[in-house]
Amino acid sequence: MTSERDTILRVRDLSVDIPVPSGTLHAVRNVDLSAIRGRTLAIVGESGCGKTMTALAVMRLLPGRARLRAREIGLEGTDLRSLSDKAFSAIRGNRMAMIFQDPMTSLNPVYPIGDQLEEIHIRHRGSGRREARERAEYLLARVGIVNPGTRLRQFPHQLSGGLRQRIMIAMALMCDPALIVADEPTTALDVTVQAQVLHLLKDLQAEFDMALILITHDLGIVARIADRIAVMYAGRIVETGSSRQIFAAPTHPYTQGLIDCIPYPGKTERRTALGSIPGIVPSLVGDAPGCMFRNRCAMAEERCRDGGNVERSVEDGHSYRCVHPVERLRGTMVPS
Amino acid sequence: MSEASAIASPTVPVLECDRVTRLFRVKRGLFETPVALRAVDDVSFAVHGGEVLAIVGESGCGKTTLARMLLGLLPPSSGSIRFAGRPMEGVGRSEIAARVQPVFQDPYSSLNPRKTLGQIVGLPLAVHRIGTEDERRARIAEIMELVGLPPHLVHAYPNQLSGGQRQRVAIARALAIQPAIVVFDEPTSALDVSVQAQILNLLMELRRTLELTYIFISHDLAVVEHIADRVAVMYLGRLVELGDTGRIFEDPRHPYTETLLRSILTPDPALGLPPGPFDGEFPDPLAPPSGCRFHPRCPKAMEHCGATAPEARTDSSGLVECHLYNGKSHDR
Ligand SMILES: Nc1ncnc2c1ncn2[C@@H]1O[C@H](COP(=O)(O)OP(=O)(O)OP(=O)(O)O)[C@@H](O)[C@H]1O
Ligand SMILES: Nc1ncnc2c1ncn2[C@@H]1O[C@H](COP(=O)(O)OP(=O)(O)OP(=O)(O)O)[C@@H](O)[C@H]1O
Ligand code: SF4
Ligand SMILES: [Mg+2]
Ligand SMILES: [Mg+2]
Repeated sequence: MTSERDTILRVRDLSVDIPVPSGTLHAVRNVDLSAIRGRTLAIVGESGCGKTMTALAVMRLLPGRARLRAREIGLEGTDLRSLSDKAFSAIRGNRMAMIFQDPMTSLNPVYPIGDQLEEIHIRHRGSGRREARERAEYLLARVGIVNPGTRLRQFPHQLSGGLRQRIMIAMALMCDPALIVADEPTTALDVTVQAQVLHLLKDLQAEFDMALILITHDLGIVARIADRIAVMYAGRIVETGSSRQIFAAPTHPYTQGLIDCIPYPGKTERRTALGSIPGIVPSLVGDAPGCMFRNRCAMAEERCRDGGNVERSVEDGHSYRCVHPVERLRGTMVPS
Repeated sequence: MSEASAIASPTVPVLECDRVTRLFRVKRGLFETPVALRAVDDVSFAVHGGEVLAIVGESGCGKTTLARMLLGLLPPSSGSIRFAGRPMEGVGRSEIAARVQPVFQDPYSSLNPRKTLGQIVGLPLAVHRIGTEDERRARIAEIMELVGLPPHLVHAYPNQLSGGQRQRVAIARALAIQPAIVVFDEPTSALDVSVQAQILNLLMELRRTLELTYIFISHDLAVVEHIADRVAVMYLGRLVELGDTGRIFEDPRHPYTETLLRSILTPDPALGLPPGPFDGEFPDPLAPPSGCRFHPRCPKAMEHCGATAPEARTDSSGLVECHLYNGKSHDR
């Protein structure tokens, strides 16, 4: 059982709306999630389902026009919603940090990377240049960079993608945060470099006892490193459970479909058709009371139009949103 | 028609590379003298009619450069490519284009945003002056149906389509003039998994019905395992291993192939992360390591690996270029 103290982040009923010319785009709807010390929560789902917006909402980095609603966004017992921007920026980069898919979004091309890392420590910890440099060198070495002193003097464009991503990780760790949110940290990397970077994240998480939220669309990564998984579709979390629960007993038709789509060497028979989800994701603009998956779902019925979002439990810690009971979704109950 | 059957002949490979090398002159800094970068280095292999040959390897290893040469878009610096038995130089640009068509990774940038879907798919027909206006229109409709695009989209523009639909357009455009060979360069890596599955299923079906040959570049080894008949593994411009898909995945020979296969993350929560493959950085292609180019990162490297380059060995299991297999007896 996780105690209250171990819950680093708790988000309840988070929604993000973005006004667009054709109406209101509901990027995130009623999302609940929590991140536990020393554990990894993975948020998976396909492009546009709201993964990044969820993270940006927590980090207060949403695009200007976006509107956020939530019943709670609590970090280590502080409700972040009540903080002024100034108070918030004392927390971001300090108690929680974010790693982006493209390191260039957080690295300034005109400054040496050393200055950028040190600046964080100086700002949040009030440390001197010397102390900050020592911390930066230590972390660069820790993320596997061989000659940290030299690297710190280099500019971002002088580094390979894999190196930049490691530097981003070091940067996130500068102030020993309690929570790291990594948004597709390895998507742009080669498989071998990806394996290195994931290892590193895992090791550092254990070493510093951090909560990690990992955002990805790659189910392989999720299966291998997540403790808990939240599957998002069209702005909503449609299923959540432990990694084992989700992969051994995927219940929501979308989760089942997603898992069937991916080729699995040794399991899927070569050169045969893969499972696939027909159709495309619906527009997120405008009100949509029912289940957003219904236009692609083989199990869809009339009542999915308005009743698709009831939360049902499979077992302890494993729940999903669908009108159908588990037995029906698993094919163990004949349709009425 | 007779030409088409010559292409499908079982004895003559549809494409054949013989010691193909491609150099690029690049400058390290603004005022420095250019040096030669060996993007593809002494690569030989044959593509057989009707097969799916995958090319895999890390970013920058030369996959796209090789593909562009196979498409006749880039001449080799040395070595030769034969096309259905004839040297590529002797075959006209338009004949190659009529037989070998590309599909690129990015369905967003590879389609002209100002042309309708019908115009995009019909362009190769117009360029090759195939059929009358009416016949072309019928062919466009037919090909759109084949790749699963609804007919009303014929007047739509690329920005009105989803990523998967755009990739279907790129496939339709490639197939419009009935090529024998399609070269795919990362055709699904920009797509979501559910869309990727739709496209892969389409590709497998098209290949069966149209008896096509595919050259399939991908960094996704699980996808490659699923659809390829043979796999070519490249490292820093070299072809380091080639063999049947089953053999490569069950019994990889080159240490680099082993490393690649270990980093596949199958969705099995009982397995953790595989051991970190190697810590070293990807080597500088302008100053590649001596000897075997993989030796600084190779877990099995021996004394002489850094001194002398291994020679490629070919036997009934395919090709491998590694000292572990040099000097050992092999059936030939
Ligand atoms: N600045 C913006 N203005 C309007 N809509 C936006 C903006 N940014 C994102 N959106 C929309 O919000 C929705 C959620 O986007 P988000 O970036 O969270 O998706 P994601 O799950 O991170 O996708 P990906 O896997 O592609 O990164 C999408 O439909 C997207 O089009
Ligand atoms: N036109 C060019 N001029 C100079 N160098 C080039 C050119 N095209 C490619 N290269 C270099 O040749 C090498 C091989 O590049 P290539 O694009 O073939 O790799 P790739 O295997 O397709 O990589 P990726 O997986 O990233 O697409 C790289 O080092 C690249 O920088
Ligand atoms: S030749 Fe040597 S260094 Fe190269 S792959 Fe084989 S064992 Fe490794
Ligand atoms: Mg995102
Ligand atoms: Mg390429």
